[in-house]
Amino acid sequence: MSGVAREGATIGFTFDGTRYLARPGETLAAALLANGVRLVGRSFKYHRPRGILTAGVEEPNALVTVGRGGRTEPNTRATDLFVYEGLEARSQNRWPGLAFDLGAVFGLASKALPAGFYYKTFFGHARTWLKYEAVIRRAAGLGPAPTEADPDHFSQRALFADVAVIGGGRAGLLAAREALRAGKRVVLIEQDAVLGGGLLRDPREIDGQGSAGWIATVEAELRSGGARILTRTTATGHWDDNMLCLAQKLVEPGQVPGHGFAQRMWHLRAGEVVYATGLIERPIPFANNDRPGVMLSRAVRTYIRRFGVVPGRRVVVATTNDDAYETARALRDAGAEVVAVLDTRPAPAGADSGFAVLNDSVPQAAKGGRRGVKGLSAVIAGAEQHFAADLIAVSGGFSPAVHLHSQAGGALDWDEGARAYKAGAARQAARTVGSAGDPPASGAFRPVGNAKASFLDFQNDVTLADIDLAWREGYRSVEHVKRYTTLGMATDQGKTSNLPALEALAHAGGMTVPEAGITTFRPPYTPVTMGAMAGAAQGEHAVPTRRPALYAVHAAKDPIWLNAGYWKRPRAYPRGSETLAQAGLREARSVRQLVGLTDVSTLAKFEVNGPDAARFLERICATTVAKLAIGRGRYTIMLREDGLVFDDGTVWRLGENRYLLTSSTSGASRMATHISYVRNHLMPEAKVSVICVQEHYAAIAVAGPKSVAVMEQLTGEAPPRHMSASQPTIAGVPVHLLAASFSGERAFEVHFDARHAAAVWQAIDDAVAAAGGCAYGLEAMELLRIEKGHLVIGPDIDGRLSADDLGMGRMLNPAGGYIGHSTLHRPAFAEPGRKQLVGLESVNGDSIPEGAMLVPHLGARAEGHVTGAVRRVLGPGHIALAHLADGRARHGQEIYARSLTRGHTTRVRVVAPHFYDPAGERYRD
Amino acid sequence: MTELTITVLDAVPMAVLELWGDPAPAAKRLAKALGHALPAAGRAAGPVMRLGPTTWLIEGDHAALAKPLGEGGALTEVGGGYARIRIAGAGWRELLMEGGLFDAESPDFATDCVATTLIEHVTVTLRVESDAACLAYVPASHAGDLLHFWRQARVLVAA
Repeated sequence: MSGVAREGATIGFTFDGTRYLARPGETLAAALLANGVRLVGRSFKYHRPRGILTAGVEEPNALVTVGRGGRTEPNTRATDLFVYEGLEARSQNRWPGLAFDLGAVFGLASKALPAGFYYKTFFGHARTWLKYEAVIRRAAGLGPAPTEADPDHFSQRALFADVAVIGGGRAGLLAAREALRAGKRVVLIEQDAVLGGGLLRDPREIDGQGSAGWIATVEAELRSGGARILTRTTATGHWDDNMLCLAQKLVEPGQVPGHGFAQRMWHLRAGEVVYATGLIERPIPFANNDRPGVMLSRAVRTYIRRFGVVPGRRVVVATTNDDAYETARALRDAGAEVVAVLDTRPAPAGADSGFAVLNDSVPQAAKGGRRGVKGLSAVIAGAEQHFAADLIAVSGGFSPAVHLHSQAGGALDWDEGARAYKAGAARQAARTVGSAGDPPASGAFRPVGNAKASFLDFQNDVTLADIDLAWREGYRSVEHVKRYTTLGMATDQGKTSNLPALEALAHAGGMTVPEAGITTFRPPYTPVTMGAMAGAAQGEHAVPTRRPALYAVHAAKDPIWLNAGYWKRPRAYPRGSETLAQAGLREARSVRQLVGLTDVSTLAKFEVNGPDAARFLERICATTVAKLAIGRGRYTIMLREDGLVFDDGTVWRLGENRYLLTSSTSGASRMATHISYVRNHLMPEAKVSVICVQEHYAAIAVAGPKSVAVMEQLTGEAPPRHMSASQPTIAGVPVHLLAASFSGERAFEVHFDARHAAAVWQAIDDAVAAAGGCAYGLEAMELLRIEKGHLVIGPDIDGRLSADDLGMGRMLNPAGGYIGHSTLHRPAFAEPGRKQLVGLESVNGDSIPEGAMLVPHLGARAEGHVTGAVRRVLGPGHIALAHLADGRARHGQEIYARSLTRGHTTRVRVVAPHFYDPAGERYRD
Repeated sequence: MTELTITVLDAVPMAVLELWGDPAPAAKRLAKALGHALPAAGRAAGPVMRLGPTTWLIEGDHAALAKPLGEGGALTEVGGGYARIRIAGAGWRELLMEGGLFDAESPDFATDCVATTLIEHVTVTLRVESDAACLAYVPASHAGDLLHFWRQARVLVAA
């Protein structure tokens, strides 16, 4: 056990392997200070020793890694982490240790590593960056991300409120109470573990009660009135329509959550948002202002009054405002010696404070190293003076936390007195209350220390000199300066550095701060773990999984699965030790020679009913529909309004005014949206009902030369001829029997109520097996359909080709009227060089790489690409479908299919895209 | 939420009723057949739930509605595409907020209120049965996933 023995310190934790004790309710920062630990981390770039600057979420220095294994959380702010039993915290970005870090050599070379160092040094061929990157990543950085999977669960939950109050300090509590008393649904959001905000630091009497009593009284009223109070919750972003994301820690970082969630991301919609977000104190730039022992004034006060920890015994207070005098009083009350108060303002500022105030004083340089500061030099009324001290409490003024207000589109107003931006007009139903709307006055001053050691952005090691350099090198936009210097781009997003940097930029350019501009406040306000953003979407729930009605039937056959979009579909049913390719080929050959069955339930399906059904379908489909006789069907394609094909399917006339439209699985959602658009916006007057029945109907395809016999046996009647339909029963279940083929063989699709899926499959499976056939999956389907020249949405019909490009121009309804028709006469559709669908044959018998570029000779520009490639089902050789410029006029040409990603090039011959039964004779009985 | 029960109900016939043109005459005939008017937006009445401006979901046998509907619209069978899941117990509203976008905790979302929303990326239609239970109509293909999500969330929220 190390550290300082303290009454009430009972919670054991470790920092860099050393065990300490903390009191309940202490942050790690408070506990480390209480145990005499001042050196907590190393800076990002120069590996400078860093301590604790703040007492809140704005902390740029004291970043630690906590937790073990997959629960490891790097870059956790010691000031925003409440100690729990067993907490393991480790310092970051140091080797071999925190006290002796070899990386500190970069600090010695800091003159050679100014802003823009990367841009000036690491240039050349892009490949060389890969070498630089490895070195840079080892030398600079934050805590490494864990490599193991996070074992915890994360929640995402909706939340609604009439009034959302962000900030649980005095102003926030008053706003929440007022809203509750007005009968509103209220949610109060506080990033700390307890309510109170600034009252925890500066207690005072309110309504005749002490702070603690008043906070408890208001909290009790809120809870009893039904208000939801979320502590350890940060409003990380504010979007349109008063939508906010709230990140809640249900346990502390690295802590084992037991059986519940570790964190929750709330998606909040609020009628009104009240920002009671308070202020962020600014540091003062002076040389070595980043040393352990230089601390923000209010942070010092917080450690003393809230946590009972006095961070130093001999203290210099440096300030631009009145607030720091309260810190001096807190220090004095705690028994520390206040050596001097250095006030940048002229007399009589601070004259009645009772302290030794030195006006017109600007800190120049801190003395001391990694073990902490030993003193401070300052320029006082033009003369340099030195002070011995082990703590320097600084206050460079206060910036309202306007981040959410700005994210929500609110204007920012410059407050010259406070030298800060505060909330201006809000764009949404939101308002700012409390100190965030009324920042205290702060004096202006000019830094006097060595600019190269005067830090603005502590986390990214950006100094005053870097801002000056950026300006001298011609960077004028604040956005460019930000990116060139990396100012404000660290995990703290520049909370403490933003305004001091703008002051520096304004000075460099001889401008006012508003003229210098301001960078954009972007979410998240504080870092959010990846787990909270993912929520339940991890592991098997990383994406939604759709299981067809026949899923259990397939699962019993232990197939090779394919994630087809969200659908889980069998790719093949291997027997014994068969590989995927072997199983797929066997199944495809079964279809070519005997019969097979496959699950096509995932096809999009729409029932179209009503007197205007045919008229509606002729708007959707680019082929004729109205002339279909009852019981007949046809292949169809659908165009976008730009005339390009975006989907295909079949349309069946089931009754006088009743049709079934099928379209692709992959385009199902898009087709549903398209149909809804046409129905509700283009044809709202039509007497038609269009209902998606994709899930209602399971569907099984039965294909092969023996399919007719199988269906006859199953239904007891002669099956319909190709592109005809009937309504028999199978296994007692009424079905729509549609004679259509995707495989190139005589085939049927059986559509029926999905609740009977298993029974119908079993009956068909038995009949197919009796005929010598088998079930086939998507692998076999791919072999069959490519050989036949049938297309799929995505690879073949990719939204860039017209019907004519695909060789389907003659299918188009000559009467027009369909969506896309009016744009078919654009000159571009007739220009030479258009990509057209072609077939490819391997010249030397090689396989053809899918996705390969098509080039007339090696080194030439690509003139097309392979959309799908397979081996022939029965004969030898490999074939493919492709898009090729002017492809139809190039039949017989030999070109190259070249895939750089697969490292495979082969010679191919351009042919018609039909390799099997081009006349369609196998469809006919 | 430990007392929360999540039950998959037996399959029943279901159909979507869509009215076209002037819906009033057909709606009047259907009201007579049903014994109550077709419910308004966001509401359910008896076996009928309003889904959209011109569409209703009908639960159970609906053969008797074909005649009064006449040429005023269409009834389309959809029962094979839905799983009906009852979430019962004091915590049903809280559970439905998990992974959701809809204000199931609103006191206005009361018995016989209907809402179609997204929960964990899945389109779900909710019908409040009582203060103690809510029915969820889930696309059958998503039901396995969503059931797993709800059952896991029930345990985690209660922990």
